[in-house]
Amino acid sequence: MRGAGLALVALLLALPARAATQQEVEESLTCQCGCGLTVHACNHLQCPSGEPMKQEIAERLARGEDVDTILAAFRTRYGEKVLSAPTFRGFNWLAWVTPFAAILAGALGVSLVIRRWVRAPATAPPAPPPVAEELRRRLARELEDMDRET
Amino acid sequence: MAELGRLAVCLALLFAAYGVLAGLLGGIRRRAHLARSAEHAAYAVLALVVIATVILLRALLRHDFTLEYVAAYSSSTLPTQYTVAALWGGQKGSLLFWSLLLTLFTTVVQVQNRERNRALMPYVTATLMCVAVFFLSLLVFVTDPFERLPVAAREGADLNPLLQNYWMMIHPPSLYTGYVSASVPFAFAIAALASGQLGDQWMRSVRRWALFSWAFLSLGNLLGARWAYEVLGWGGYWAWDPVENAAFMPWLVSTAYLHSVMIQEKRDMLRIWNMVLVLLTFALTIFGTFLTRSGVISSVHSFTQSGLGPFFIGFLLFVLLVAGGLLAYRLPELRTPAVMESFLSREAAFLFNNLVLVGIAFAVFWGTVFPVLSEWVRGVKITVGPPFFNRVNAPLGLVLLFLAGVGPAIAWRRASPRNLRRAFTGPVGAGLAAAAALAVARVPLGYAFATFALGVFVLGTIVQEFWRGMRARQAMLHESAPRALGRLVGKNRRRYGGYLIHVGVVSIFVAIAASNAFRIEAQETLKPGDEMAAGKFRLRYERITSDENAHLSRVAAEVSVWRGGKRIATLAPEKRFYKKPQQPTTEVAMRSTLTEDLYLVLGSYDPPTGLVTLQAYVNPLVSWLWLGGVIMAGGTLVTMWPSAAERRAPAFELGAGRVPAG
Repeated sequence: MRGAGLALVALLLALPARAATQQEVEESLTCQCGCGLTVHACNHLQCPSGEPMKQEIAERLARGEDVDTILAAFRTRYGEKVLSAPTFRGFNWLAWVTPFAAILAGALGVSLVIRRWVRAPATAPPAPPPVAEELRRRLARELEDMDRET
Repeated sequence: MAELGRLAVCLALLFAAYGVLAGLLGGIRRRAHLARSAEHAAYAVLALVVIATVILLRALLRHDFTLEYVAAYSSSTLPTQYTVAALWGGQKGSLLFWSLLLTLFTTVVQVQNRERNRALMPYVTATLMCVAVFFLSLLVFVTDPFERLPVAAREGADLNPLLQNYWMMIHPPSLYTGYVSASVPFAFAIAALASGQLGDQWMRSVRRWALFSWAFLSLGNLLGARWAYEVLGWGGYWAWDPVENAAFMPWLVSTAYLHSVMIQEKRDMLRIWNMVLVLLTFALTIFGTFLTRSGVISSVHSFTQSGLGPFFIGFLLFVLLVAGGLLAYRLPELRTPAVMESFLSREAAFLFNNLVLVGIAFAVFWGTVFPVLSEWVRGVKITVGPPFFNRVNAPLGLVLLFLAGVGPAIAWRRASPRNLRRAFTGPVGAGLAAAAALAVARVPLGYAFATFALGVFVLGTIVQEFWRGMRARQAMLHESAPRALGRLVGKNRRRYGGYLIHVGVVSIFVAIAASNAFRIEAQETLKPGDEMAAGKFRLRYERITSDENAHLSRVAAEVSVWRGGKRIATLAPEKRFYKKPQQPTTEVAMRSTLTEDLYLVLGSYDPPTGLVTLQAYVNPLVSWLWLGGVIMAGGTLVTMWPSAAERRAPAFELGAGRVPAG
C-alpha cells in the first residue's frame, strides 16, 4: 500500500517540465518592492519593481532567451534574493534535500521501531501480572464507556 | 483611566507571579490550600486583565488620542467595528488580548477541575500563570499599551487599511484562540511530568482542549486565507508567508497529536511521543509569535513588528529547556512496553501519518528559517518563496491524503488479507474509476489528477464506514436507515465526527489542487465598451465611477460579465485610497460559484480617458476551500458534542460552593 503511494510520488516528481512561459519566469522571481510576493503575484498599482520586471521578461522571451539566461540576468542585477526559491547548488542544495532526508530518516526509524515492536512478543513475552492489571483497567474503562453511551 | 489600566496590568503581573510560586509550592509540598490560593490568584489576574482590556477598548472607542496606542492604530473616522478590531491590530493591544484569552482559559480550566485532577492542578495553574507572567511582563516593562503621548495627537494615524476588512474582525481572534488554548494541553503535560502522574488521566482531561485549540487553529488559518484572497488581490489565498507558516506549523503538529493520541488510548503506546507533540505544539505557537513580531524574517504581516524578538526567543528557550528537562527526567517512567503485531495495522498507518505531518511541519520550518541560515553561513540573502514550499509539500500532501484513506479503514493490530480486501476493494475501485474518468476527461497527469483520484479513494473509505455501520445497526436493531445513521454517529461521535472532518479535508485538498493547476489569468487595458475574454466568460468594461467620504475615496470599474451571449453578472472591482495612512488598497470583485470564482482586480486606471487595466482570474473550485472549512467545523462539533451521559452527569459542577474562601 505504502509502496504504491511512494511510486505515485516518484511518478509525479519525474513529470517533465513544460516549456517556459512568461508566468513561469515571473513566478521564479521575487518582486523587489517589499511585498514579499513573486513578480507574478505582485499587483501593486504601477509597482516600481514588478511592472518593469514583467516587461523585461516579456522582451527577453520575445528575443528567444531561455529561462536560465533570464534568471541569471536578474540575479546579476539584484543578487540571489531575487530568485523566489533557492538554487539547487552549493549550500542552497541543503534547503531542498534536508526535508526529504529528514522524512526518509524518520520513515526508516519508524520502520525499524515497528519491526522491533512486532518481534518483541516472540523474544520477550510480557510478565502476566501487568497484563492482568492492564486488562482489568481496560475492562473497567470499557464498562465505563458502555455505561456512558447507553 | 489609562493610569488605572496600567495599574491593573501591574497588579495582574504580581498576582500571576504569586500564582506561579504558590502553585509550585502547593504542588511540590502537596499543600492543598496553597494550590487553591494559586487558583484564586489566577481569578484575580483574569479580573485585572479584563479591567485593563475594557479600559483600552474604552479609550479606543472614545478616540482618546492622548494614548500612543489609540493614536497609532485608530482614528476618529475609523468605523466602529474596526475600532474594536484595533484592540488586536497593533502589538501592544494584541499582547493584552493574548493575556486576556490566556487568563480566561485558565479560569475555565480551574472551574472544570475544582474537584478533579487535584494532584495536577497546582502545576497546571503554575504553568499557565508562568506564561501569563511572560506576557504581562512585556506589557509592564517593555511595551506599555497605556503609554501617554507627550502631546495628545489631534487625529489618529489609523488602522492599516489592509486590516480594515471584516475577515480581520474574526481571523486574528480565532487564530489567537487556537494559539492560546494550546497552552492548556501544554500545562497539563508539564503538570503530568512535574507531578509524576504520567498515566492517561492528564491526556483525557485535555482531549477537548486539544481539539478546541486545533479547531480554532484550523479556522484561523482558513479565515486568514479568506482574508488574503479578498484583500491582497493577487488571485491566491496562500503565499507561504513566514507568518502564515507560523500559524500552519502548530496546526500540523496538533493534527499529528490528535491522531497519535488514539494509539495511546487504544494500545497504551507512544506516551513519550504524544508528550513531545503537545510540548512542541505550544513551543511552535511561541515561535510563531516570535516570527510575527521579531522582523527577522520579512513578511507581509509586518503590522506588529517590533523589537520584541529577543524576549520571545528567550521565553522559547526557557520553555524548551524546562519541558525538555522534565521530559528527560521522567523518561524511564514514560517508557511502556510497546507491542505491535504488524506493519499492516492502523497503528502503523497512524505512525506514518504522524511522520508525514511532523515532516511537513519540519519542511515548512526549514524553509522559513533557511534565509536566516543562509545569511549566517554564506552572508548571502536569499528568498525561500512559494515555489519551494509548493514543490516540497505537494508530494508530502499526497502521501498524507493517501494515508487519510488507509487509516480509518485498516484494522487495529493486524490486518488480515481478508480484512484488507474487505476494507479496500470498494475505495480502491472508486479511486481507480475516478482516475479512469479523469483520464477520459483529459485531465493532465499531475498533482491535480492524483489529488482528485486519491480524494475519491478517501471518500470511498469514509462512505463505506458510514454505510457498513448503518447497515449493521439496521440488521441488528431493526432501525430505519436515517435513524440508524443518526444513532451510529451519535453513539460514536469521535469516530464519525473525525470522518466528517476528513471529508472537509478532502474538499480542501481538491480546492487547492484545482485552483493551482487550472487557474486561468487574463490582463488587458480597456476603454469603456471594450471586451476581454477570461476563460468561458466575456467581460465588458462599461464605465468608471468614483466617490469619496471622510475616511476614504474610491474608484471602481463597472464590468458586465457575459457567458454564452447572456449577461450573468455585474462586477465592480475597486481601488480605495485611505486618507490617514495614505495608502491604496485593492477591493476585489468576485462572482463565486461552486465550480469557479471569477475574480476581478482593477489594476491601473486613468479617469480622463476612462482607460483601465483589468486583471481577471478564473479560479476553479476555490469555494470548496471554504466549504471544506465548514464541513470540518461541523465534524469538530460532532466530535466535541458531549454525549447524553456526559450531559446528565457533568464532570464538574458549577457553583458547587464547596470551595472555602481564602
